[in-house]
Amino acid sequence: MSTAQQSSQTRAAGSPAAQGTVGESSQRLWRWLTFGPALAMMVALTILPIANLVVTSFQNITWANGQPTRTWVGLRHYEALFSDQLFSAGLWNTLIFAFGAVVGQMVLGFAMALMCSKIVRGRVLYRAIFILPILIPGIVIGAIWKLMLNYDFGLANKGLALIGLMPHDWLGSPETALLSVIIVDIWHWTPFCFLLFLAGLESLPQDVFEASKMDGAGPFQELLYVTLPLMIPTIIVTFAFRLVLAFKVFDEVYLLTSGGPGTSTEVVSFTLYQRFFTEDKAGYGSAMSVAIIFLVALLLVVALSARRGAGARA
Amino acid sequence: MNSTFNLPRRSVLKALGAAGAAATFPGSIRPLFAASVAPITVVINQSPWFESFRKTVEAYEAETGNKVELDVNPFAGSLEKQRNSVRAREGQYDILIMNSGWFTEMYAGGFVEAITDIDPGFQLDADVYTLGDTVYYNAEKKTVTKDGKLMSVPVSPLIPMLYYRGDLYKEAGLSAPKTFADLEANARKFHNPPGMYGIVQRGARGPHTVAYDFYPYLYGMGGGIFKDQGAGDYSVTLNSKEGQEALDYYIRLAKEAGHPKTAASDQAEVLQAMLTGHAAHIMMVIAAWSQMDDPNKSAIVDKIEWAPPPSAPGLPTAPGLGHWLAGISKNVPDDRKHAAVEFLRWFQTKAAQLETAKAGGIPVNAAVYKEPIAEERKYRWMKPLAEALPHAVNIYQFPEASEVIAVLEVGLNRAVAGEITSVDALNGMSDEIEKIMSGHAYKTGKLAPLQ
Repeated sequence: MSTAQQSSQTRAAGSPAAQGTVGESSQRLWRWLTFGPALAMMVALTILPIANLVVTSFQNITWANGQPTRTWVGLRHYEALFSDQLFSAGLWNTLIFAFGAVVGQMVLGFAMALMCSKIVRGRVLYRAIFILPILIPGIVIGAIWKLMLNYDFGLANKGLALIGLMPHDWLGSPETALLSVIIVDIWHWTPFCFLLFLAGLESLPQDVFEASKMDGAGPFQELLYVTLPLMIPTIIVTFAFRLVLAFKVFDEVYLLTSGGPGTSTEVVSFTLYQRFFTEDKAGYGSAMSVAIIFLVALLLVVALSARRGAGARA
Repeated sequence: MNSTFNLPRRSVLKALGAAGAAATFPGSIRPLFAASVAPITVVINQSPWFESFRKTVEAYEAETGNKVELDVNPFAGSLEKQRNSVRAREGQYDILIMNSGWFTEMYAGGFVEAITDIDPGFQLDADVYTLGDTVYYNAEKKTVTKDGKLMSVPVSPLIPMLYYRGDLYKEAGLSAPKTFADLEANARKFHNPPGMYGIVQRGARGPHTVAYDFYPYLYGMGGGIFKDQGAGDYSVTLNSKEGQEALDYYIRLAKEAGHPKTAASDQAEVLQAMLTGHAAHIMMVIAAWSQMDDPNKSAIVDKIEWAPPPSAPGLPTAPGLGHWLAGISKNVPDDRKHAAVEFLRWFQTKAAQLETAKAGGIPVNAAVYKEPIAEERKYRWMKPLAEALPHAVNIYQFPEASEVIAVLEVGLNRAVAGEITSVDALNGMSDEIEKIMSGHAYKTGKLAPLQ
């Protein structure tokens, strides 16, 4: 390179345009340097395990001489999902469970939040009492409700006896087992909805309520035409959160019924546990995992789209 | 807050003196027994017989000075830990306590080292039960046969036995039921709910729950799951006439002389019914015997008697093996493998097994059953057990047993719960089992569906 060329380049580099380019590229470099570790962490902890799961879902793993052998089986595991009766029963029950439990939690949680927001004295005490179930570990909840619903000495049957009714096998009867688990889940997770709704109610603009009162709205009209419309975004977010969590239910079913009697409380997480862990079918279990991840993601997308729609209307 | 750490001068001098003495005379502060082999770790489940195993291990440690660490887990957790350990580059557990539902998985996967490969001089005590030859494995034939290598030593020869209320039988002038007809008649006689149930069955769905409870009925009536596993014929025979008869009987017993929550009753609940005096009969692994006469746990102390599970006329009793075997991991260092062999060599002896019996366990050495202890009232279960053990059936001889068990657990539980008929349950389970077996390239087939 000639000296003349070098000096012209040096001048160009010193110009404001060149300074901007250098500044931008160093900024870009800085962005990548700071973003890089987080990206690498996400790739290592999230993308890679899921990619590994997807790859395994196309394989069969067998063991001989202490060593694994992976055999490529293509889409066979995904095809088998459609004829897996346990998986279909689990899917159907999970949907019933998720919608049943979440609707119950939303209605109760909203009612409790509404009551709590109107209380002037002792609000903190009520709040503390209402959120108690959410603080109890799942295993303790299993023990509490297993005792409550025990056929021979459970409180539920003692209650029935008091009003002259015969005892009922709540967890062992196909007619009531799923309902019983739903009730336990409602008891466990209603406080979650309550907390979110209470936060939402407390952040609503008070002038709208004052205006509605001036317009002569009664408590029911206020709820229907002011509170509920304003709470729609909170309701949708709470619903989405709970729906996704309810779809992943495992501990309550495992502890109370192990999916039984028959398949009446079979849920997809429990089927996955059976297939992947108990039966040690890593390939098929991975395919089931991918299918469940897809379904949960789908639920989330639908719920968030509903929120965006509600936001746009608001 | 400030705190100062003061070391008293006298203590320092004592410690220095002790250290000096230890350095000068290293032999002077040895423990009473010096360990002769490396410490080992055993992975085991929390079963009713665990306490007896723990006490036997303590006796071994006291006698030899060798160290054994126990890693205790729930049933399913134990299997998961074993799988993780044996599939690692180096295993965490030296001895695996394997259940009848998964020991073939460990053998066939190459995770367990033959004991005679570690120590060619090792011999199984002639009096130790080989329990359907499940302690051997022939890798070429891929099955458990005596011509295979010695892979394990039995730890608990569990089979289900009939527990019945001896006091009620005595009052009614009855003798222990030998046939299913006797059992049904007696269960109906004592059935007076909610105070007393004729029989309480383990009909819940679990890792190996209702299926294990059903085996004595199925095999005792001449049925089975496969045609001839020993000969490699895995044709499914579950939905035979005998299979249907067995399932119909099991369900009838539950409905007409059993507990209303049979479909949700697991082992703990069945035991609870017996221990609280609300059951006239239960079919339960013999390991629970010690709880029956424990006044801290039982309301029926000295009232229980034992008998081999009943069978159809002309057929022998046929309890399903639910035993536990101890195998040595392949992926552990040689010194630990040898230490594990030493433990098993000691464990199988008559003396050690006598300790096990006294601690509430079930001896694996037949010689113990001929000792005076078997005549004692406390050990009245020993004779019926010794009578039933030779007829015990090894239900699964292939490594994919857990898949078949999962099918049985769902199908049987659905039938017991009344979700489907016994015919639909048997036909459905047979189809699924045949699919599993053909998927694993076994010679299989199935019977025509029941109508």
